[in-house]
Amino acid sequence: MNVETTIAKKNISILHIEGKILGNASDAFRKEMSEQLQTGRDKLVIDLMNVPLIDSSALGAIVITLKSCQQSGGKLVLLNPQKAVREVLEVTKLSTVIEIYDTEEGACAAF
Amino acid sequence: MIETILIVDDDLDILELLKMNLEPEGYNVRTANNGESAVQSACANPPDLILLDVMMPQKSGFEVIEELKNIEHTKNVPIILVTARGQTEDKVLGLDTGADDYITKPFDLREVTARVEAVLGRTRPIKYINPLMRAMGDKFSEEGLQQLAGHLQAAAAIQNKLLPEQAPSLDEFDIETLLQSSTSVSGDFYDFIPLNETQIGLVLGDVKGNGIPAALLMVMIRTALRLLCHEEDTPASILKRVNDLVVRDTEADLFATMVYGILDITNSTFTYSNGGHCYPFHWKHTGEMGVLKTEGMLIGAFEEATFSSDICELSPGDILVFYTDGITETETRKSEVTAGNTSQKEEAGSSENGLPITESHYGTDRLATCISKNAGLSASALCDTIVNDLTLFSGSTNPHDDRALIIIKRHI
Repeated sequence: MNVETTIAKKNISILHIEGKILGNASDAFRKEMSEQLQTGRDKLVIDLMNVPLIDSSALGAIVITLKSCQQSGGKLVLLNPQKAVREVLEVTKLSTVIEIYDTEEGACAAF
Repeated sequence: MIETILIVDDDLDILELLKMNLEPEGYNVRTANNGESAVQSACANPPDLILLDVMMPQKSGFEVIEELKNIEHTKNVPIILVTARGQTEDKVLGLDTGADDYITKPFDLREVTARVEAVLGRTRPIKYINPLMRAMGDKFSEEGLQQLAGHLQAAAAIQNKLLPEQAPSLDEFDIETLLQSSTSVSGDFYDFIPLNETQIGLVLGDVKGNGIPAALLMVMIRTALRLLCHEEDTPASILKRVNDLVVRDTEADLFATMVYGILDITNSTFTYSNGGHCYPFHWKHTGEMGVLKTEGMLIGAFEEATFSSDICELSPGDILVFYTDGITETETRKSEVTAGNTSQKEEAGSSENGLPITESHYGTDRLATCISKNAGLSASALCDTIVNDLTLFSGSTNPHDDRALIIIKRHI
């Protein structure tokens, strides 16, 4: 798994993830998100376009970061999850508490 | 990982000789030509092993050991003493030097290599294989490890006691269960709770992650459920109450997914609710495959979680299959999908199920197909068939994740 972070307007961090987020990879994923929070950036867009699969550790990382963002008045949204990931989000009902967008413009407009 | 050896000797020829001998073996070699610089070098960057000459002017090998054993990050570095035969050999043998082994001069270079490898072979597992060791500080010892292993064993024993020893034996239903743990304590669990003469509560779940924290949360959830399920409530409101109890005491990233339902033996119905868990299968005697799908959040992650209940009727011959994602996320042998090796694919495809391996993960489709094709079997034979198919798919009998399965078949 690789993460490339870009900063968009309104100080929004867009994390472009590439590869499966399974097992130990979710630690790196979580670390990258928490580094954003530590530097005061609590508006996160997680780009999942190139993520074929995630597991429960990755969900845990998303949940804990989502809560941290909300606590500091920010927000976490997901961008373009693919079929398998979308299914996981739906089965776990995370899709009801996290906003999901199909385009980067749409995601950024959420803030 | 390349291992580093620090060689300490005041004789520069011997340093060079040992270096020339060990470097081709793949070790990274550092040298020091007196005791003082040896201590400095070891402290600055602890090596994986020290080959230490005993007889050196100023600071002897014994003094170097004594110093290193008193420094936190060098005290566990293995040391092989190099002694002169006759002069210091007797002394080394008679002393508790703190060294792991010794070699006598003049030495056979092959013996040096063999002893270095033997000592590293003994210490390597403690250092690299057990990932806990680095974080454990004072427990960086055999004693600490044994203590930890003891705690893990005790936790596994408690958890095993919590699981039902066997599935309930009923006239109307044939029930089989399976629990395979990838570590000594499992994050997957199931339970059967007799509610009254005609109803049994049934739960199957998966606590995120594994190891001790997951096992603790599992115990919490199971206890909460056992206490709450006796109240005459819908499965949805019971899951809601379990969630409310657990969410207060857990970190946000610790949660579980589970299905809870009530099997009614007289009416042959199953009333269920789902907390973010993969949908159980319902194979109908007509040959149709369905899923038990209700809306519900992860358990323990959010305060405002909602759940819903639904009911299904079980006709004679119908089968319910509850499973955890350790089953559907089982990975295949790499070569089959990536290399596109036809002969291997065919070999795998010619299994008793005749299912080709085309995905990197076992997946729900393959599980559904396996159930449908073998629906005529008893619950226990169907369970064995699924396990065999998983083994065939993954090429291994050792699961990487915990796996749990409950199969309920209504007798014809």
